[in-house]
Amino acid sequence: MSSNQPASLGAAAARPLGSAVQLNWQRFNTIAIVLLLIGIVGFLAALGLGATDRVWQVWLVNVIFFLGVAQSGVVCSCAFYLTQGRWARTTHYRLAESFWPFIVLGFVLFWGVFIGRNHIFPWIAHPVPKKAVWLNVPFLFARDGLALLLMAMLSWWFVLRSRGAEAVAWANSVTNIEMPPPVIRRLAPIIAILYCVIYSLLSFDLIMSLSPMWHSTLFGWWFFATCFWSAIVAMSLSAVVFRELLGPGTMASRPEVLHDFGKLVFAFSIFWIYLSFAQYLVIWYGDIPTETFFLVVRLWHFPWVPLGWLAPFLIWMVPFIVLMGVRPKRTPYILGTVAALGLIGVWDLDYILIVPSLSPNRIPFGWVEVCVTAGFLGAFLLCAAPGLRLAATAATSSFEGAD
Amino acid sequence: MSDVSVVSTFSSDDECAQAILSLEHARMQGYRAFFPFPSEKILEANTHVRRLPRSPVRLWVLLGGITGFLSAIALTVGTSWEWNLYTGGKPIASIPPYIIIMFELMILIGGLAGITGFFFHSNLPAFESEAGYNPRFGGSKFGLVIRCEEAEAAGIESLMRDAGAEDIQREA
Repeated sequence: MSSNQPASLGAAAARPLGSAVQLNWQRFNTIAIVLLLIGIVGFLAALGLGATDRVWQVWLVNVIFFLGVAQSGVVCSCAFYLTQGRWARTTHYRLAESFWPFIVLGFVLFWGVFIGRNHIFPWIAHPVPKKAVWLNVPFLFARDGLALLLMAMLSWWFVLRSRGAEAVAWANSVTNIEMPPPVIRRLAPIIAILYCVIYSLLSFDLIMSLSPMWHSTLFGWWFFATCFWSAIVAMSLSAVVFRELLGPGTMASRPEVLHDFGKLVFAFSIFWIYLSFAQYLVIWYGDIPTETFFLVVRLWHFPWVPLGWLAPFLIWMVPFIVLMGVRPKRTPYILGTVAALGLIGVWDLDYILIVPSLSPNRIPFGWVEVCVTAGFLGAFLLCAAPGLRLAATAATSSFEGAD
Repeated sequence: MSDVSVVSTFSSDDECAQAILSLEHARMQGYRAFFPFPSEKILEANTHVRRLPRSPVRLWVLLGGITGFLSAIALTVGTSWEWNLYTGGKPIASIPPYIIIMFELMILIGGLAGITGFFFHSNLPAFESEAGYNPRFGGSKFGLVIRCEEAEAAGIESLMRDAGAEDIQREA
């Protein structure tokens, strides 16, 4: 029996409502630090052994992936405020915002892309004359750097307000139809719109430019929709883990809350495949070589075929089939497994978006990629720890007085 | 002993749901609930008391969806094979664009089948009001109409009062 569970019904009744169950954050932090150290050692070793290309390419993959999860979490919180969603009181807001510190670290890690730019961007060694105005190092890094800085500052301001007393009181007052606090009402749509613009820009600059001759109009939207879904599955996975660790008597243990997370995972995976098919169909119909080569390398050309098809399988096929019914969405281990696989799917997607442009005939995946990814994961978890702690407290205290 | 209808009015769906659950203890299943919006609490209480199985409307939707999907395949692939025309160098039966038609017809026929099943299983359209219905049950109040013998009416009224009914009427 978990140490968090009461010994008897009497003990459960005697436990004061709203008391935070103590989780072992020290173990969590230790795991994160170990992963980070693996990453640092692996990174330095790889650079020393001459695997520079692989190091900086997987660095870009991880910046894109983890920054996508972190920023989209804040945007999820904005979406919850804009739709006045109080289905889990403050818990879903805290969960969504728990990853936000990585937005700041991600901005710093983005400059690693600048350091490794010669190993990432082919248009540096081989400039594209027609696109030189857009694809040049100073302009690209200036605009992307400013964009990320802007998003970091706005996200920090938003999270500060969202955790303030006024917003917390609003989220906990489910019986009135009052609007969220004014500052939230103004910030949320601004962040949401800027997110669409800036993450489209990042996708064009950091992913599409790796194949400078390729373009797809929907790519920006598809990319930030993918990031948005990755934040939803990260939140769902966190909710499932909290349910197991915190035990009964929390918002995370309510089947309706897991059901709501499951519905979000299900619905937005369908939205993702909708956008994916919309892109694919136009390219298939036109059958223009300058457009089709991007997909051919990833979906029809070995060795990338298995990884190419793995992404839609994990991001759409698995959630669509498994989470269609009510019961699977309310079953923690099912929802948690789908969410974990979904995160692997998004990482795989980011990997196959970036690396085949630079290495079309072989898959550079080994200890270098594992170590660097572990390092990023460790850093991400360390950044998320304070927010997750807050979310655990919210899940416990929000339960008090809930129907 | 003649039957009477006990018509109870509640101001919240919570109270109405509690009243339905209290009827379970009284082993009374001859009731009709009226509510102005689809209240999950009342629906769950009703499902619990009446031991209702899962709604069969989902089967209508499933079969309608499958029918629509197969119809779309027949329509698109069948007409392509019939006409045997090459378009843009694509195969005669080129599946990617046909997926859109398959998806749309699946949703259309599935949705129409679902609506049909809903009407069928709800005995709609109903051209006469249910006994005990009051127009305020379509506004801001929740109603519970229990058909019982006159001797049981007093006990039922007491249950409803305990559940929080703000108005209780007895009708023939």
